[in-house]
Amino acid sequence: MKRKFTAFDKVIIAFAAFFFIAPLIAAAEYSARGYGDKGHTFANYSWIVHQLGFSPALLTSLRIAAITILIVLVLMVPTVVYVHLGGRRYRRLVEILCLLPIVIPVVSLAIGAQVAMPKSLQSTSYELCFFYVVVAMPYVYRTLDIGLQSVALSTLVEASQSLGADWFKTLTMVIIPAIRSSTTGALFITFALSLGEYTLAVLLHFHTFPTWATNVSQQNIYGSIAISVTTLGGAWIFLIVIAFIPRIKSLFAQRKRVA
Amino acid sequence: MDLHGSTVEFRNVKRTFGTVKALDDFSLTIKPGELVTLLGPSGCGKTTALRILAGIDKEHEGIVEIDGKDMSQVPANKRNIGMVFQAYSLFPNMTAIENVAYGLRVRGVDSHKRESRARELLDLVGLSTQADRRPTQLSGGQQQRVALARALAIEPSVLLLDEPLSALDAQVRAQLREEIRRIQSTIGISTLFVTHDQEEAMAISDRVGVMNKGVLEQIDEPGKLYNKPRTPFVAGFVGLTNYIPAVTESKSLVLVLSQSLEISDHSPAVKKGDEVRALIRPEEFEVQKADEGATVITKSFLGPVTRLGIDVGTPDLIYAEITSKEAKKIDTGDFVRLSISSDAVMIEHV
Repeated sequence: MKRKFTAFDKVIIAFAAFFFIAPLIAAAEYSARGYGDKGHTFANYSWIVHQLGFSPALLTSLRIAAITILIVLVLMVPTVVYVHLGGRRYRRLVEILCLLPIVIPVVSLAIGAQVAMPKSLQSTSYELCFFYVVVAMPYVYRTLDIGLQSVALSTLVEASQSLGADWFKTLTMVIIPAIRSSTTGALFITFALSLGEYTLAVLLHFHTFPTWATNVSQQNIYGSIAISVTTLGGAWIFLIVIAFIPRIKSLFAQRKRVA
Repeated sequence: MDLHGSTVEFRNVKRTFGTVKALDDFSLTIKPGELVTLLGPSGCGKTTALRILAGIDKEHEGIVEIDGKDMSQVPANKRNIGMVFQAYSLFPNMTAIENVAYGLRVRGVDSHKRESRARELLDLVGLSTQADRRPTQLSGGQQQRVALARALAIEPSVLLLDEPLSALDAQVRAQLREEIRRIQSTIGISTLFVTHDQEEAMAISDRVGVMNKGVLEQIDEPGKLYNKPRTPFVAGFVGLTNYIPAVTESKSLVLVLSQSLEISDHSPAVKKGDEVRALIRPEEFEVQKADEGATVITKSFLGPVTRLGIDVGTPDLIYAEITSKEAKKIDTGDFVRLSISSDAVMIEHV
């Protein structure tokens, strides 16, 4: 049955939408202002790409984000699936472990965890990937946990295995696609976090997109807002792309079948 | 499609959960192409037996063989067993045809072959027009049909059906069980069906095994199981049974409702004067209108037969079934005379 929205519901939704959208519109408008009453212009956006270090910083952050996503997928999906199946008794423990990064200050994490890092990683920016995995854990765990609660996981796993699939195929062909929206959400959170994290990068003296953006923002106030809007827009485009990839794939598969 | 029917054998299989014996020395042989049903109340161990055969439950003692090959070291995904689950188990991210083709896909069968085979199976279950629908766009009955097609697509050596009809409404359930039987007979696959619904079990099985507290109490053809139960539990669980207080006259005779009857072979040993309960089916009574005697309290029309609830002075009403034509002469409140028509009755100790 389709739920009917009451007038009160509509007011709340409108208020929430305004609360989220208004600052974005304001930021977009502000970032397009020209200096000295010159009206609106895209000059602040073209200014971004002309700044020294833009491409290396962005590419570094994108590489870090991609590797972080990969580690999150490999580490978190099997772990959360495991605690939903055979490892129920470890559920509380895993939940607590995943919540720890919220209560541990980032400074402690940066200093303490770096000591435990292999020497070969300590001097490269890829070290940040592991920190970002830890920082993303609370959000990723919760998102995947909710997704797995919404499907009959044990039945799907048993069905897949009875049809001849091993664990890897069951994970990649059944479980991850079955909780696609949760997986997408978890990836999006990880991507956004990796792309926007500043404190760890600056504490460990790495040049990522956020540290570069902070530096160049001091030269152009409108440009700094333009960087924020661009980053946010990029994250949204990424979300839309990963949300639509499976649909595009299935559309192609259907066309292929028809052909 | 013509599958090779395999022989399945459970030998002295035991499985415990804590202190509870889910399977206690369970032995069963399924002949090639046979449909065997395990019937019993919740917690009797029937699903445990099925899961052990599927390889999902490995914590058991005893031997499970398929075509003489010991399965104890073979993982679930290597057993080549098709399974239909009680819960809707279609992969939500795939269409009906993708679900059916899944088992072939993981086996690396090329896309053209697997699509044509999936279509063939969807056709077999009458869903060829629904191939591109997702599970959420299919009814419960359609989803279980797709699940059946998916299980058969891999050409399994054994088909396992774990209460696949229990979530469906009565009409769809009756229709689908006939379809399952038709398909199973057509392709000749050895099948283990698990249910707690005796009507379902009796309707489609070659043999039915009745389970109680982890023990296979009796396995027989449906007719034999109903007419010649070997234990009081089977007599009570399969069909409707009246438990009537009675007294033994000797080791082989019992007095029930003033009628002397032979005690059946599978009853427990008794001596003269023992107070027992006689287990009598409703259709084993003959009911005649009388001027005095037992009183008809309830009358339920069940189509070709009518069930009468009769007060004979025992704590519970006795239920007798007579043809609806005969029942026209009898109304509630009438006096009737009851006689038992069976040659031998099963008894149990009080």
